[in-house]
Amino acid sequence: MDLTPKVKFLGMTFDVTLMIGSVVSALIVMLIVFLLSRRLTVRPNGRQNVMEYIIDFISGITGMMLEKKESAKYLSFALTTFLFILIANLLGVIVMVTATAHGSLPSLGITAADLKMTDSVSWFKSPTSDINVTVAMAAAIFLYSHFAGIAKSPLGYLQHYVKPFWWMLPIHIIDEVSKPATHALRLWANIFAGEVLIIILREGAFYFTGVPLFVWMAFSIFVGCIQAYIFTVLAMVYIAQKVGEE
Amino acid sequence: MSLAVLAGGIMIAFGALAAGIGNGVLFSRYLEGIARQPEAQGTLFGQSMIALGLVEALPVISIAFGILVLFGIIG
Repeated sequence: MDLTPKVKFLGMTFDVTLMIGSVVSALIVMLIVFLLSRRLTVRPNGRQNVMEYIIDFISGITGMMLEKKESAKYLSFALTTFLFILIANLLGVIVMVTATAHGSLPSLGITAADLKMTDSVSWFKSPTSDINVTVAMAAAIFLYSHFAGIAKSPLGYLQHYVKPFWWMLPIHIIDEVSKPATHALRLWANIFAGEVLIIILREGAFYFTGVPLFVWMAFSIFVGCIQAYIFTVLAMVYIAQKVGEE
Repeated sequence: MSLAVLAGGIMIAFGALAAGIGNGVLFSRYLEGIARQPEAQGTLFGQSMIALGLVEALPVISIAFGILVLFGIIG
């Protein structure tokens, strides 16, 4: 487990590695979408075809759970979520920057006690391999789904807790708690476990761990794509459960 | 050898065991499905990959916490 540089600001601790990773992935997503959506024509050319294929794919996800009129509202949200998580997952597989600390750095939150455990400091990795990022994303979706449900029909929102029977209320409450928890843990655990195995394989002799490393990296790319897709699908399912009824 | 190493090892081992059983059931049913209806392979492949992602999640969560215990980050 590598250390990460941390900065204290207004009593809160900020992880510099995660901020760099998030900003870089957001910039890459913006760059890709910006370049693909310039000079749109009625008859699509090469770049526009790629963008239309992506949007078609995402509107397939939103259209699975919601009606056509409702699903168009969530298209850009699902597109942003999917592309950000996809790029963030893949960045950690392709680029990982670690440095070796030769002494404690109190300004970056690396103390002498930390250095007893390990001396490698991570400067660039997948932002989704840290539990704080995925919990924040899942919590935002959780809050939004409840607010959207209340905004649509306050009575219907309260009623769906006691449907189909009143004694199912505790089951509904457990369900509401476990949904964001598994939503966040699913993405984090997959990317984190993948990254730890890459770090372990990278430290071995190349003759022994070289082939397993490349096999695992290929599998990590596959897992990153699948998990980005599943996170988006589940986000839409959770929103549709609150918004789509009645 | 501390108990944390043993605990982490057990968590990772049972995670792998559960993932093996779950994925085995999933893909045996997938193969049964395409043996019965070979033309449905395209649809079934996509669906089974989504199911793979959902099934894999719980063992991988166990493995991730096992790694954290093993390296002494928590517990």
